Amino acid sequence: MARSLKKGPYVEASLMRQVNQTDGKGIVRTWSRRSMIIPGFVGRTFHVHNGKLFMPVFVTENMVGHRLGEFAPTRKQTSHAGDRRLKQR
Amino acid sequence: MARISGVDLPREKAIEISLTYIYGIGRSAARRVCDLAEVPRAMKTHQLDETEVVRLRDAIESHYKVEGDLRREFQQNIKLLMDVGCYRGLRHRRGLPVRGQRTHTNARTRKGPRKAIAGKKKAPTKK
Repeated sequence: MARSLKKGPYVEASLMRQVNQTDGKGIVRTWSRRSMIIPGFVGRTFHVHNGKLFMPVFVTENMVGHRLGEFAPTRKQTSHAGDRRLKQR
Repeated sequence: MARISGVDLPREKAIEISLTYIYGIGRSAARRVCDLAEVPRAMKTHQLDETEVVRLRDAIESHYKVEGDLRREFQQNIKLLMDVGCYRGLRHRRGLPVRGQRTHTNARTRKGPRKAIAGKKKAPTKK
């Protein structure tokens, strides 16, 4: 079931605080993969934890409505030795 | 004879069914189009006169996105996911299931026919 519109998009309160504090520039480190990307995040860079590392995520307009975690894969992409044509990323 | 949105409709079927040969029109959309165009749903396609065909055409054009336009939109939506670099886009790029299904087994619709792995021993067949 989809989230009620009345509540608005979910953004972790602590993330929101961090974003507001580092106005404009400045990279925000976060574990909050579940937070929705809101229009105010466009043009900012987030370092999103993938369980091991912080993946840099530069937010563009098209990403609005997705969640931060969608851009920081938690799994290694598999490939076999001698695999011809390894797909880019 | 009746040509709507670049598709030839089968002559011998009821118009309600014939319309579903158009990409983007299923049974319920076909019914709605018939009602909008005020054409009896059960009428055979070859019995339609010109004005009825025109009405159907207008009804589809003004209410539905069909055929090429719809396919293009579909592809664009996928492309957008791929360009933005999100998880769903990555899955599309790799040709794997997008909505969290298992891939250990199955997932053949997305992955295509099984590929043999060189040097892999066949499991012994049970007696």
